[in-house]
Amino acid sequence: MITIENISKSYKDVQVLNIPELRIPKGQSFGLVGNNGAGKTTLFSLLLDLIEPTSGQITNNEVPVHKSEDWKPWTSAFIDESFLIGYLTAEEYFYFIGDLRGVSKTEVDKFLVPFEEFFHGEILNQKKYLRDLSKGNQKKAGIVAALIGKPEVIILDEPFANLDPTTQIKLKKLLKQLSEEEQVTILISSHDLMHVTDVCERIVAIEKGEIHKDLEKTDATLKELEAFFER
Amino acid sequence: MVAKFLQLEWKQFSRSSYFAKSLGIKILMIFLFLYFSAIAVVMGGGFYYIVKDAVPEQDPLVFLSSYFIFWILADLAIRFFWQQLPVMNIKPLMILPIQKNKVVHYLLGKSIFSFFNLYPLLFFVPLAGVLIYNSYGVLSVLVWLVSVLVISLSLNFINFIINKNNTYFYSILGLIALASVANYYQLIDFNAVSASVFYPLYAQQWTVILPVLLLILVYTINYTYVFNQFSLDGVVGKKTAKVETKELNFLNRFGATAPFLKNDFRMVWRNVRPKQVLFTAVFFLFYGLFFFTQDFYADKEWVTVFAGIFVTGGFLITFGAYVPSWDSEYYKLMMSQNIPYKQYLESKWLLICSGCIIASVLSIPYIYFGTKIYAIILAGAIFNIGMNSFITLYGGALNRVPIQLNVKAKAFENTQGFNLTQFLIGLPKMLLPIIVFLIPYYFFGLKAGLIGLAGTGILGILLKNPIMKLIEKTYQKGKYKTIAAFSEK
Repeated sequence: MITIENISKSYKDVQVLNIPELRIPKGQSFGLVGNNGAGKTTLFSLLLDLIEPTSGQITNNEVPVHKSEDWKPWTSAFIDESFLIGYLTAEEYFYFIGDLRGVSKTEVDKFLVPFEEFFHGEILNQKKYLRDLSKGNQKKAGIVAALIGKPEVIILDEPFANLDPTTQIKLKKLLKQLSEEEQVTILISSHDLMHVTDVCERIVAIEKGEIHKDLEKTDATLKELEAFFER
Repeated sequence: MVAKFLQLEWKQFSRSSYFAKSLGIKILMIFLFLYFSAIAVVMGGGFYYIVKDAVPEQDPLVFLSSYFIFWILADLAIRFFWQQLPVMNIKPLMILPIQKNKVVHYLLGKSIFSFFNLYPLLFFVPLAGVLIYNSYGVLSVLVWLVSVLVISLSLNFINFIINKNNTYFYSILGLIALASVANYYQLIDFNAVSASVFYPLYAQQWTVILPVLLLILVYTINYTYVFNQFSLDGVVGKKTAKVETKELNFLNRFGATAPFLKNDFRMVWRNVRPKQVLFTAVFFLFYGLFFFTQDFYADKEWVTVFAGIFVTGGFLITFGAYVPSWDSEYYKLMMSQNIPYKQYLESKWLLICSGCIIASVLSIPYIYFGTKIYAIILAGAIFNIGMNSFITLYGGALNRVPIQLNVKAKAFENTQGFNLTQFLIGLPKMLLPIIVFLIPYYFFGLKAGLIGLAGTGILGILLKNPIMKLIEKTYQKGKYKTIAAFSEK
């Protein structure tokens, strides 16, 4: 689904990312781990064409991301708060995203029903603008919005940070279900090795912009990752 | 302690991104500042003689007193829109061993150092000098000067009280309207009332005590307010706005651009900054009065073209100039969601055009000055829609200064989103209409000039698709730079 070839990104003369090759097949749940500044967000920003690669190219379902906008209909993401529109209420925001993805208002309402528990009564019908919600609730709204319109590729940066334990568990279930039952390609990054190994079939560890580990998940994965980061 | 605060303040100022503006902008700002200051000084110095000349039968000071109430109201209105209670980053100070009252006094004291308080000083001090020179009592004038300055300082604090509540503002606005109507029909002579209230500040020196008491009162109100709110859920915490949800279904007829239009409507309605801009745009409507009421311009038809452009182009100039910055807070979303640039730009274009159309409807009363005048305004509107809208959008592609939607612009900081390229791109907006009007006008008269102006606009509308494509390409080219610039805060 996603092919990364010779991608590199430098700011001035400092290289922050260099990935010779990475292929993510359709339906895979892909986890990206790394310390602060390892290049996780840089990679995701490149995938979304938010920054220009210094070299190489990324294709999303055969569409070269930096040359065409055609990958947008099946790709969605939540990277940070700048993906929220602060002056809208959660509903208005969901409807707006729905409009963009060709999902009608009633369909969005229907789509939101199973998330009621996930929202814990703090998102919908709150008469509050998104900018006035707590960080955690903003994140919930952003993640759910990224699921609207049956995207085939979902990119989530640090989805577990700022969430309460209950929501973390629910989110993990949800992501697993999406990748297993609906063949959605999910890319998530995290600092939390436990969560990532829980959710993802494949985990890649990056350090200083380069891939150091690329593991299919087994029972030993968590140990191996812990050993890698311990040194 | 105060020295420490000042040090923090200085660092905040000198390290802010505002300050990183180019040298040219800094010079321009200093120039503007000096220009307005000079105006104030000259007005203050000349006031006595101007009034003496215009209304020889009245004592200029009585004249001033009779209009003083209006000055107060105008000053309040201006402050309401442009001045905000200075916010110090007190959150980190809250858990440090610093006495609360010191911080609050400092915060309120700091608000005095504002251009809005300097202005009265620049105006009234020269005026007082001239009064003394013209053998008014020295002591009386000085006491009067103190009173006036204390009143202006009180306005500074009254503004912060008003600022917390829109109803205060609208009641004052209503009061002004009522007062002007009552004054016009001579139901109540506000000038007389004003004179009898404010002239004693000069004539009876003991009255100086009243403004001083007022100042103490409003300062105390502010002090108590801030002091009591000095907690995380008070002043420091974000205010939660009351939500008004409207479906805005009537916009659905615009098809694919409807979701963006809805968004833009909400953006303008729910954020402080765009509202401020909208308010400024309304002022542009009155710009024509400037030209059409003066005999000086009566025989200079070509100048009125400016008026035509400005009267209907207020929204285009004030709002349009900041496209895409309005979406800077969530630009990454816009760039990664399923949004073609084309629709995004189209929605902005429609918005700008609606601004022009609404303005041309609202300017129908200009027919009072003759249908010719209104024809000029309409031609200006067509030009704005067909030409200036595109120029503005094109200029936006080079505009990379983020805007914080829910923060008021401060006076002299309203250059967010302003840069030299912006200025150069803005030039054709003014020059082009003059050219396309002037040449046919010179040879064939007014009608030809208007046809030239409106015709260029219509041509632009006809060529909309290729022009939009060009603009779209320019935006696409600058995409990464814009995203990077907008994510800097």
